[in-house]
Amino acid sequence: MSERRFLSRHARAIGLSGIAALLALASMAPAWGEKHRPRGDAAFGEYLSSLCVTCHQASGQATAGIPPIVAWPEDQFIAVMHSYRDKQRENIVMQNIAAPLSDEEIAALAAYFGGLAIRPKIQ
Amino acid sequence: MINRRQILAGAAALTGTLAAPMVRAQGKPRVVVVGGGAGGATAAKYIAKDSQGAIKVTLVEPKDTFTTCFHSNLYLGGFKSFDEITHRYDKLASAYGIRHVRQWATAVDRSKREIVLADGSRLGYDRLVLAPGIDLKYDSVPGWGKDAEEVMPHAWLAGPQTQLLRRQLDAVKDGGVIVMIAPPNPFRCPPGPYERVSMMAHQLKASGRTRAKIFVLDPKESFSKQGLFQQGWERHYPGMVEWIGPKVHDGIKSVDPKTMTVTTGFETYRDCALVNVIPAQSAGRIARDAGLANASGYCPIDPESMKSTLDPAIFIIGDASIAGDMPKSGFSANSQAKVAAMAIRGELTNSRTFPARYANTCWSLIAPDDTVKVGGRYEPKPDKITAAETFISKTDETAEYRRQVQQENIGWYAGIVADMFT
Ligand SMILES: Cc1cc2nc3c(=O)[nH]c(=O)nc-3n(C[C@H](O)[C@H](O)[C@H](O)COP(=O)(O)OP(=O)(O)OC[C@H]3O[C@@H](n4cnc5c(N)ncnc54)[C@H](O)[C@@H]3O)c2cc1C
Repeated sequence: MSERRFLSRHARAIGLSGIAALLALASMAPAWGEKHRPRGDAAFGEYLSSLCVTCHQASGQATAGIPPIVAWPEDQFIAVMHSYRDKQRENIVMQNIAAPLSDEEIAALAAYFGGLAIRPKIQ
Repeated sequence: MINRRQILAGAAALTGTLAAPMVRAQGKPRVVVVGGGAGGATAAKYIAKDSQGAIKVTLVEPKDTFTTCFHSNLYLGGFKSFDEITHRYDKLASAYGIRHVRQWATAVDRSKREIVLADGSRLGYDRLVLAPGIDLKYDSVPGWGKDAEEVMPHAWLAGPQTQLLRRQLDAVKDGGVIVMIAPPNPFRCPPGPYERVSMMAHQLKASGRTRAKIFVLDPKESFSKQGLFQQGWERHYPGMVEWIGPKVHDGIKSVDPKTMTVTTGFETYRDCALVNVIPAQSAGRIARDAGLANASGYCPIDPESMKSTLDPAIFIIGDASIAGDMPKSGFSANSQAKVAAMAIRGELTNSRTFPARYANTCWSLIAPDDTVKVGGRYEPKPDKITAAETFISKTDETAEYRRQVQQENIGWYAGIVADMFT
């Protein structure tokens, strides 16, 4: 089970109904956060992803000239983004998009897109 | 002490979702979005999606389907059908619970926080997004006007005008004279007129009408991607396109739709086979009437959020806004919509927000598989949205590279319309 899935299942099991539960959760977080901290912040990744899905299909479908980026292994996603940021990999649009991203932001994107499932093509 | 906001933010982080709804006692907060184009459709979708039902979103847009201006030049050039550039709104309702009100908004009652609709009814809002696009200044070209647009089309709002321009282009005889009157700055889609010229020339060439000639009468000294377009015109359409700047033509004095004549300070073009008048533009009327525009005719915004600098409950996105260094494009409008959606969600549900980021790329097709691009990344600075890093195609790129760039262009279109409507 990925850390992200572990965490969301964990959160659901505890229940997010009341402030008391939330407070309990918040006070727990540092203790097990050490071990189970996700590598990337998927919620941050979800926001950053809005920049990507103007071109890349959020469904994970491939289109002409624009590769799918959903459900990749996080390590590979991170490596590819680093190679655009370092201007190793060609493509001026991607180099431009990747240039300002911090390691943390790239990890967040990798966690978010890595956790999505490829959806069938919508007609 | 941990405050409520931090707890909610923590919960959001754990579940990996942006939504951390804080529902008001009186009911859900209400957002009204006026205009279902590149900006408005995107904003409505993202507010509804990211708030996961915590915000009630209403989209006010009279049309049942939206025909994109982007890739309307590809329709003109025969690369896409009209159906391929026309999209339905139904998924916004079925997938995201957005209510689509098929009416014109006629006024904004800012003091009551209500929108007035064409049938006289009113819609209350906690936050309003205005994305009405542009209005054409029908009086900016002497002799031309609303009553002349069926003879000398603008085709700068996609729909029947786009189809009319295509029919007129198809009817141009070999040896015919085409005049395009290009718009002054600032206007929707800086490379758009010149991509259109390329697509017209392509249609003429592909059908053997290479003695037809396109004159571009421009009020500007220079234009977007000029070197790339002019090189492309010489390479693919020798002798068919002549761009004429203001120093040479000395001003567009008048057009006469009855005789199909265009008169400049320097020359007169008579018996034109086609005159495409792209007039000066301003923010859509609803935004100007609401007192949200400045002397430029467009609406000033806060670069961090796209919030109007004149009304804290109103956000203005897309072509109607003054977005600093960002060009007026569908890509820009989509990017601005996401920033506004995040800011609104944050204000209304007290959920997590992040610093604004903006991007744009505009691809232009010059000839089959010969596509160039210009784009950049933009950041909010106190005075305006500012270009952080920009790029533009080079004149010495290989044919194979240009072909790949066209593939990107096709893929981008599929991406942005999926992002707006599904
Ligand atoms: C020929 C051409 C080519 C282009 N090519 C590209 C391109 O390749 N790439 C690119 O990124 N951009 C391109 N653009 C630019 C792009 O189309 C616009 O920048 C973009 O559509 C702006 O989005 P918007 O949301 O501001 O306005 P629009 O997309 O125009 O949407 C405005 C909507 O608001 C509605 N509306 C207006 N007033 C009201 C009211 N009072 N009540 C209710 N509804 C209202 C209208 O019906 C309309 O649907 C091109 C434009 C043209 C003309």
